[in-house]
Amino acid sequence: MKIVISILLVIASLFAGDATIDVVKKVDSLPTIAVEDSTTSHEQAFRDKFFKSIVADLNVLAIFNVDGFYRQVDYDLNRVLVENKDMKYVLRYKLSEDNGSSFSVDIKLMNGGNVVFKKNYNVSSSNIYMFVSHTIAYDINEFMGEAPVEWMKRKVIFSRMISPQKSELVISDYTLTYQHVIVKGGFNIFPKWANKEQSGFYYSSLDGKPTLKYLDIKTGKGSVIKSSDGMMICSDANEDGSKLLLTMAPKGQPDIYLYDVKTKNARALTNYGGIDVGGQFMGNDKVVFVSDRLGYPNIFSTNINSNSVQQMVHYGKSNAACSAHGEYIVYKARESSESFGGNTFNLHLISTKTDFIRRLTAVGVNEFPRFSVDGDAIVFIKNYQSQSSIGIIRLNHNKNFLFPLKYGKVQSIDW
Amino acid sequence: MRNVVVSSVFAALLVLSGCSDKEPQVEAVDNAAASSNAGSSEGLSGKSLGSSESESEIIARLEKEFSSVYFDFDKFNIRADMQANVSKDASVAKSQASKYAIKLEGNCDEWGSDEYNFALGLKRANTVKNALVAEGIDTNRISMVSLGEGNPTCTDKTKECWAQNRRVEFKLLP
Repeated sequence: MKIVISILLVIASLFAGDATIDVVKKVDSLPTIAVEDSTTSHEQAFRDKFFKSIVADLNVLAIFNVDGFYRQVDYDLNRVLVENKDMKYVLRYKLSEDNGSSFSVDIKLMNGGNVVFKKNYNVSSSNIYMFVSHTIAYDINEFMGEAPVEWMKRKVIFSRMISPQKSELVISDYTLTYQHVIVKGGFNIFPKWANKEQSGFYYSSLDGKPTLKYLDIKTGKGSVIKSSDGMMICSDANEDGSKLLLTMAPKGQPDIYLYDVKTKNARALTNYGGIDVGGQFMGNDKVVFVSDRLGYPNIFSTNINSNSVQQMVHYGKSNAACSAHGEYIVYKARESSESFGGNTFNLHLISTKTDFIRRLTAVGVNEFPRFSVDGDAIVFIKNYQSQSSIGIIRLNHNKNFLFPLKYGKVQSIDW
Repeated sequence: MRNVVVSSVFAALLVLSGCSDKEPQVEAVDNAAASSNAGSSEGLSGKSLGSSESESEIIARLEKEFSSVYFDFDKFNIRADMQANVSKDASVAKSQASKYAIKLEGNCDEWGSDEYNFALGLKRANTVKNALVAEGIDTNRISMVSLGEGNPTCTDKTKECWAQNRRVEFKLLP
């Protein structure tokens, strides 16, 4: 019996950290949390918005069973409301404005009537309340000792199609509640953050010859990086932003190039006669990319130093986009081959160390997967029944969340 | 490219995220429109006596002489029923439009906004380019761009509509 238990423990430990294994947690087993509002300074409509935002963020954390009932209470009351007495945790907050110019939030997290965590947040305007909400959720997650959710505080950048050959680049929070159009006019697509700090981004301009441009978001200073006939896209930037993976087609042939930001030199990593696109860094010397070298789009890898090519995905006949983090690759697969019907595209996750494949989505057109910087989550574009949304997949919690776009269609995304 | 608006709201966002500088909004100059306007004014100044047609009008008229080349789903080879279009296009390029450079715009249907779809559009343009070169057009006259799914002529959710969008269009450059 001891031997059997030992074997089971060994097997369990082998798969405990494998994101390709579905994690099924019963909602009932998660600790309960209720949210109490102590605000007196704002209109009820704004209080409702903030309450909804904080409840949504706590739900996305996926570590609580969140009670969504709105209740008000005095901030200094030294016990939770009687309606919340059975809750494991209660988050109480109070919004306030100083001199009408800055926005302040006080929070305290209570457990069994005791305050276990408290903090104050200050920003310059209540218009960015959603970022305060995300930061509160981030801090509570950290207090609970869970894996970091750094992505929650990061900015998302996406390209929104307005009409044929007209798009705008938008910076938003991960829920799309806050949106700021940073480049408007023209046909600009494939925005890509230039570095981990998100101090600037690259994008492709298709007004004229395809051109890669850079915009510093602090100064607003733009510059031209490179042009190419046919295609010019920045697919990925390495962690310190010193190297880029570009898709260019100077002779009409789309290939992947390694670009050195400092020296401005570009070196071809592929030279196949078909389609090689979408290079993604995987570690220091490996690049995964999409190629049709088997007659259909699939995911391959190459070594930056040797140019040897290896097939990475052995499932599906049309895998046209991917993103890599650590040992994991998420890719988009066409699940139907209807030339003229409604096609389904789903996202799948594989590990380069096991044979497991995990399907991450079920219906609609799911595409443009991008790992978060910490690998904890995947952001993607979902188009379903004429609605364009940004989706978040919490890999270790087996939960997907969708945030619909009010107008236009998301063309590409990065965070 | 020029700076037009400084967003105080986004400045606040950057304060929150630890940055102290302001966040501008940039309005990209629409080069296509700019070059089109440039062509128009150049054309006006270059009008010949007795003619009322500007160069941009000539270009617009000649572009209508070309026939778009349509493709099958996920394919970039020229279909048998499109060979006649390519031959006719080569003929127009060699005669009426012989003084202009040709820009081939590769387009796709809505099934995918990723790089692969853009590459498919480019391969379609490249196939048409090779066919034109085989018909005697100077390769240096031809440039290409893929617009992916970003330039649909039809936005209905029908098979006929998707088929119309999988195409290569001809544009003329002065």
